[in-house]
Amino acid sequence: MTFLRLLSQTKLYWGLIAIFLIGVLSSPVTSSGRNIFLSSGNLLDVLRQVSTTGLVATGMTAVILTGGIDLSVGSLMAICSVVCAMLLTVPGETPAVFLGMPAVGLASLLVGAVVVRFIFVNIEKTRSGIANIRDVQLDRMRGTLLPAVGGVILCALVLSFLLPQVQTKFGVLGVLLVAPAVGLLFGAINGAIIVVGRLQPFIVTLAMMVTALGIARLTAGQNNAVLPVYTGSNATADFDVLRQLVFGIVPMPGIFFIAAIILYSVVLRFTPFGRYVYAIGGNEEAARLSGINAGRVKIVTYAISGLLAGIAAVLYVAQYRQGKPDAGAGLELDAIAAVVIGGTSLMGGRGSLAGTFCGVLIFGLLSNILQLHNINSNLQLVLKGVIIIGTVLVQERNAYDVLAHLRLTSRRPAQRETAAEERSSRETLSLTMGGKEE
Amino acid sequence: MKRRDIMRLAAFAAVLAATTALLPGKDAMAQDKKWRIGFSQATTIEPWRAQFNKDIIAEAAKHPEVELIVTDGEDKTEKQVADVENLIRQEVNALLISPKESAGLTGVVQQAIDAKIPVFVLDRNVETDQYTQFVGGDNKLIGRAAGEYAVELLGGKGKAQGNVVEIWGGMGTQPAHDRHDGFHEFTDKEPGIKQLLDQQSGDWKQDQAYNIMATALRNNEKIDLVYGHNDPMAYGAYLAAKDAGREKDIKFIGIDALPGEGVTWVNNGELTATFLYATPGAEGLRQALKFLNGEKVEKTVTLDTMKVTKENAGQIMKDNGL
Repeated sequence: MTFLRLLSQTKLYWGLIAIFLIGVLSSPVTSSGRNIFLSSGNLLDVLRQVSTTGLVATGMTAVILTGGIDLSVGSLMAICSVVCAMLLTVPGETPAVFLGMPAVGLASLLVGAVVVRFIFVNIEKTRSGIANIRDVQLDRMRGTLLPAVGGVILCALVLSFLLPQVQTKFGVLGVLLVAPAVGLLFGAINGAIIVVGRLQPFIVTLAMMVTALGIARLTAGQNNAVLPVYTGSNATADFDVLRQLVFGIVPMPGIFFIAAIILYSVVLRFTPFGRYVYAIGGNEEAARLSGINAGRVKIVTYAISGLLAGIAAVLYVAQYRQGKPDAGAGLELDAIAAVVIGGTSLMGGRGSLAGTFCGVLIFGLLSNILQLHNINSNLQLVLKGVIIIGTVLVQERNAYDVLAHLRLTSRRPAQRETAAEERSSRETLSLTMGGKEE
Repeated sequence: MKRRDIMRLAAFAAVLAATTALLPGKDAMAQDKKWRIGFSQATTIEPWRAQFNKDIIAEAAKHPEVELIVTDGEDKTEKQVADVENLIRQEVNALLISPKESAGLTGVVQQAIDAKIPVFVLDRNVETDQYTQFVGGDNKLIGRAAGEYAVELLGGKGKAQGNVVEIWGGMGTQPAHDRHDGFHEFTDKEPGIKQLLDQQSGDWKQDQAYNIMATALRNNEKIDLVYGHNDPMAYGAYLAAKDAGREKDIKFIGIDALPGEGVTWVNNGELTATFLYATPGAEGLRQALKFLNGEKVEKTVTLDTMKVTKENAGQIMKDNGL
């Protein structure tokens, strides 16, 4: 019985297990009698296919946890993919350089400052706790001067590394710095407008989605859709490294995706920042009153969302050997769907990256299974939609209520808590335990 | 709690069983089918693509030994790459692919070639030449035919006079560039022909072409000829002219000549002419079968074009059961 309970409680995973089992049991078999679905190649294909959406969904999860939403990720990926592809293939002063270099400069300033500040705040905490009143001068220095110095140093380092590449062509490391920096910057702009302008995230990121698409098209210019394939001759970088299989089996994009999930999970679970994210989503006003700088936390989540879109873009360029303005079209919806399937509430404050990981895989496996059965692709869309609703119903534990409503099962005894109450009491508990999910 | 768990588990088991039962299992792979041929289509929402699918499915129906699997890339490179990977895993005997774009699909086509699957590239090429065969129309050739006819309509070689509106397809797509270049090989030689617009793209869509034309009509007193990179755009331009009451003094030329679209419009006298852009569906499948049966095939098969005007439009529609 304990096992059953476990199974029912890890509701995130059993959706995944169910899909997987369906895949295994129903998979067609090759002429030589191998189960196609289970063949390692197929499963790794799935991992590779979902990694772009997965990276974006990872950033999206934190944004949604704060009660926001980021509709601009698809367009940000488009910009970053165009910048990345152009830097790799076209030397000299292209629009991509004019967009990318200032972006990478600004982003490294920001990151340097944030990192230095973070270090100082933590040293301060461990050393004394409350600063001495007489140290106001010193405090001011720590608060602004030192981070500024840190930012300038990092910016100088990054630019001195990148500037020589402008005249030639950028290397892998170069685009891995520039493209995500562009994403980070646009993400930070999203966050800043939302926080400073006190606007709805939905409308701000919607506007950014359109703006960014325009910028992507302007940057691409005449090359609107097609940039040269990397044959080694027209790109300095041997970009193959991002297409390779690590240890001969795992596709590189998958490694990036899993690494992002793990890192961000650690951040959300074990750092103050992570707890603030949950707290803001739970009740922003309360979080603010308890001394959390909600604005700053939100800006960081949007910036990271943009950053991950940028990384996804580099992988996109490596995989499809092109960067173009229509890369990432519709990506935001896939990412949001994966996040919600993973049990994260659009209201904010509840959910986890482990759930998102499952959500992304459920989505990918589902597409794969439907395709293996060669089901008509229009029907596939219908099935996907129905399954998303079904999965979310089960996860929100409202499926029982629906059934009860239809008189298919008996109503619950009145003294039982409703699912929602049960949940909220659990959440409060889990928040105090560091935002852990069951 | 316990009872509900059991309930839920039971429901879960039921759903699992039902789904498993619904999905066709191993028996779906019919025994009498000698060849499994996978066809990866880029998208099916465009009428030309729909016709393409119709053609290939109709051809497959003529060959009982063929099991044809058609996938739809939904106009996304990522989806089409995933589709092809999937077909490779299914170990098809031959792969037919009509790529959404060259660069994005090259890698996965290479993967299929490496997996020893003969690959037949249809309509749009990829950036490798290790495929078995390429079958497609020649957009430049069609553009030339259209350009030649346009010059003829505007007064003939050396004497042609008139203002031309050209409505582009997708700006970054090779077919649009080819249809543009071929057309201009003829019209650019004529000093009397003036191009009114500078690279206005209707993205192959009727509604966008309507808007472009509506603006052009407002800005220009005199328009003599509209060249749309496909029929729906030419037709969209025609509708805009009609709504402005000026359709009588303008000639409209389109490309594609689908029976249900361009040919019908030409037959109704709405478009002046359209040029056939044949779908490589039927031919591609025939060639693939030829290859599977051990015959030699050409590296490239180019499909010819045909001018469709009021004279032959009715006949073509009859042939297609319209």
